[in-house]
Amino acid sequence: MTRDEFITILKEELKNLPSAEVEDILYDYEEHFEVGLSKGKTEEEIAKELGNPKTIAKSYKANYRINNAENNPSTKNLFSAILAAVSLGFFNLVFVLGPFIGLVGLLVGIYSIGFGFSIGGIGLFFGTFLEPFFPKYININLHPITSLSFGIGFFALGLLILIGCFYLTKYLYQVVIRYLRWNINVITK
Amino acid sequence: MNIQFKKGVLELCVLSLLNRRDCYGYELVEYISKFINISEGTIYPLLRRFRKDGYVTTYLQESPEGPPRKYYKITDEGQKAFKELLEEWEAFSIGVNKIIRGELDD
Repeated sequence: MTRDEFITILKEELKNLPSAEVEDILYDYEEHFEVGLSKGKTEEEIAKELGNPKTIAKSYKANYRINNAENNPSTKNLFSAILAAVSLGFFNLVFVLGPFIGLVGLLVGIYSIGFGFSIGGIGLFFGTFLEPFFPKYININLHPITSLSFGIGFFALGLLILIGCFYLTKYLYQVVIRYLRWNINVITK
Repeated sequence: MNIQFKKGVLELCVLSLLNRRDCYGYELVEYISKFINISEGTIYPLLRRFRKDGYVTTYLQESPEGPPRKYYKITDEGQKAFKELLEEWEAFSIGVNKIIRGELDD
């Protein structure tokens, strides 16, 4: 492979990264070729010693996407990071995806409980007031004070669960990021 | 050599060289590849990550033989990380050597 071929492939593989980043990365390899050439090596020798530019690009992409997911939290960024990390082939998606889906399922479940309680609570609260007007549709067999109290109680509990879920989601997000880092690097911050 | 194993060792080697003195990319690559069989292209992503994580800083220095060279300089955090890795490595290699040379007490 010639120097141009190497650099072109590397650049092509990195095209989704910000251009400033790509230029900085390519500079290192241009410099490497320059020094190698000045020491009498041929372009082919240098390219061969460097290895496969596609594999090298995967490394840069994974690091970039994980940093991006950490600094700009979003579902899309997290999935990009997971995919990029898996592409390095250091860990098996099967071992990651299973538990991950399980966690997401659990989270969805708890959110649902939170919503359920909140909405149920509201329903119970307002239902108590509306019961006299819509006897056919609303039938709460409790003392009004009981149903009002439970309504407020469920609503408050639901709200608490939802707030807890929110923080849990943020925490799990960071856990996934740290897990990805641990898989592709040795030193992790 | 197992690839996960190589990764950790590579980080240790790079940091140990930078701990002694500042180096530019090519000389790090050249020196390390004399002793371990690695894909030389794996060193630059590693150096870039070190820079992002604050373990090294870089500066350009003019060179008589071509474009300015990017020198890597270890930081205090980098030295801390180096010492930790070194301790882990020494404990690990002593343990492994004991096992394979059969020096465990029966």
